[in-house]
Amino acid sequence: MKSVWVYSESDSVSNEVAAAAAEVAKGAGLDVQVIELGEARQGVSSPGGKLLIKGSVRNGDSAGAASSAIAKAAAELQPAAVLLGATRTGREIASRLAAKLRVGCMAEITKVATDGTALSGERSVFAGKVVARVSCPLPAVATVKVGAYPRLTAGSASVSEKEVGVVTDQVKVLSREKKTAGAVDLKSAKVIVSAGRGVKKKEDLPMLEELAKEMHGALGCSRPLSSDLGWLPEEHHIGLTGVTVKPDLYLAIGISGQLQHVAGMKDSKVVASINTDKDAPMFQASDYGIIGDLYLVVPALRKALAARG
Amino acid sequence: MKIAVCVKHAVDESELKLDPTGKPLLAGAAGKMSAFDKNAVEEGLRLKSKHQGEVTVFMVGGPESKKTLKEALAMGADKGALIQADALTVDSFRTAEMLAAAIRKSGPFDVVMCSEGSSDTYSGQVPPMLAEFLGLPYVGYARKIEVSGQTARIERSLEDSIETVEAPVPFAVSVVSEINEPRYPTLIQIMQASKKPVEELNGEELSPRGDYKQVVVASMSSQPSTRKRVILEGSPDEAAAKLVEALVKEGVLK
Ligand SMILES: Cc1cc2nc3c(=O)[nH]c(=O)nc-3n(C[C@H](O)[C@H](O)[C@H](O)COP(=O)(O)OP(=O)(O)OC[C@H]3O[C@@H](n4cnc5c(N)ncnc54)[C@H](O)[C@@H]3O)c2cc1C
Ligand SMILES: Nc1ncnc2c1ncn2[C@@H]1O[C@H](COP(=O)(O)O)[C@@H](O)[C@H]1O
Repeated sequence: MKSVWVYSESDSVSNEVAAAAAEVAKGAGLDVQVIELGEARQGVSSPGGKLLIKGSVRNGDSAGAASSAIAKAAAELQPAAVLLGATRTGREIASRLAAKLRVGCMAEITKVATDGTALSGERSVFAGKVVARVSCPLPAVATVKVGAYPRLTAGSASVSEKEVGVVTDQVKVLSREKKTAGAVDLKSAKVIVSAGRGVKKKEDLPMLEELAKEMHGALGCSRPLSSDLGWLPEEHHIGLTGVTVKPDLYLAIGISGQLQHVAGMKDSKVVASINTDKDAPMFQASDYGIIGDLYLVVPALRKALAARG
Repeated sequence: MKIAVCVKHAVDESELKLDPTGKPLLAGAAGKMSAFDKNAVEEGLRLKSKHQGEVTVFMVGGPESKKTLKEALAMGADKGALIQADALTVDSFRTAEMLAAAIRKSGPFDVVMCSEGSSDTYSGQVPPMLAEFLGLPYVGYARKIEVSGQTARIERSLEDSIETVEAPVPFAVSVVSEINEPRYPTLIQIMQASKKPVEELNGEELSPRGDYKQVVVASMSSQPSTRKRVILEGSPDEAAAKLVEALVKEGVLK
């Protein structure tokens, strides 16, 4: 039976992609194989089997080594499709794998499906203004948008093995430093309080963090806060170049609402925003808006929440 | 040091119009330099000023993209190559193949520079594919590049960490926007740019398609936003109370 392969260096993303692969396989007579590099991971589930690729490569290795190992196995075992998570590393592995195998590669897709001859999906383009339906003849590679599928939590899977020997990367990793402690899980948060450039200094973030806590939610941000200013780790950054979220409530505070930001949160159930500028595009993308200074409105909101008990 | 910078003339998303059915009007749509490619050009120029050498800009696009190529030349790049193809119908794989063929033709280069992703389609696929086709070591999402002798030390910005890597020269790299602040060309530079050499190449001739089957776009449409857009009036306290009430009613506040 032909297989759909799944790989992500991140356990949780692997479980999302596995859910996408299960959808793809369903009805197309395909089987799902979740790839493990070098060793099995406890937190990684499969709706079908697992393929343990053995040799010098390990889960989490650089895109150079991981793509070489998966390409070697794929050249022999001929999967129908390889799905990866669209993380920074995942995009690199997918692209390099597709280049090595000389097959097409779709980026950032959701609603992945196949009719047995081609892989198809949807992706947002032009900063989220438009949805494009794309397809590519099988065999194909694709990255699946992070946050688009609920994580699979299936039980045990049968494991087959493939030896690929030594793979190398000319790029040597010298060190890896965690950005800041306190990992955030925006994908499972029901409420997200999101901070933008309207926040004047890093020292003001705890106020929003407290608000998030009081709403039983998590803190997210716009790209400038994590990238340009470096106030929060990149994991907090929501939008086109960050994570896609769909909480029950998205509260945008001091965020102008540029297309690239809205692209990452527009499927939230309810959106509210606080902004001093009545013409901020964020109000167009919101159900409820408060035109006002966050330094006055946020304390008022915390008071109103506390009053509920 | 010979530096190749890949620059895309991207659809300007803010100017893009939709027809009444929600289909984007791409024929004749306004374009601009892909946002982060300005950072790639800037970084190429920065490496040139430090190590001497030359910056060549490579672009796959139609005639309308010349304007963006000129902009990169005005920023300070020395020359350009326009690989003619319809940038909206070739996929990442073909774009990378064409870029690789043109870079090989006028190479070798010490550094092949791209940005992390194009502002219109944001795939992040062309740079790693290009590196594969050129057989170069690849470092993605660079936020700092230091070259000394035959090695480069590069900081990569990942979701949760900063990775420091070492790559041999020549190498291919993609940059993130926080790597630098792109310069604005002066009026004189803009005037001088039209005198800089631009080679025009035909993409399909330069790099025949062979039996590669590419990704195709079947259709495009926009989803209308269905937000309520209610503005809650009053003092901060009044507005905040109204918001809490509304959110409770929506069932999204525990
Ligand atoms: C290719 C590309 C990809 C991108 N991807 C992303 C992405 O994934 N995510 C993302 O977020 N951005 C992304 N961006 C950047 C995006 O275009 C915007 O620049 C960014 O979202 C703006 O962030 P902001 O709203 O926090 O800041 P600004 O646009 O500066 O807005 C700040 C807002 O705060 C308001 N404000 C100021 N003071 C106060 C106050 N005291 N109280 C209340 N409100 C106040 C202002 O009125 C303004 O509306 C991308 C850009 C490009 C080119
Ligand atoms: N048509 C193109 N011409 C030149 N460079 C391109 C082109 N498309 C993509 N690139 C380069 O590849 C990067 C990433 O693009 P993408 O893979 O489309 O997200 C861009 O920032 C450019 O540096």
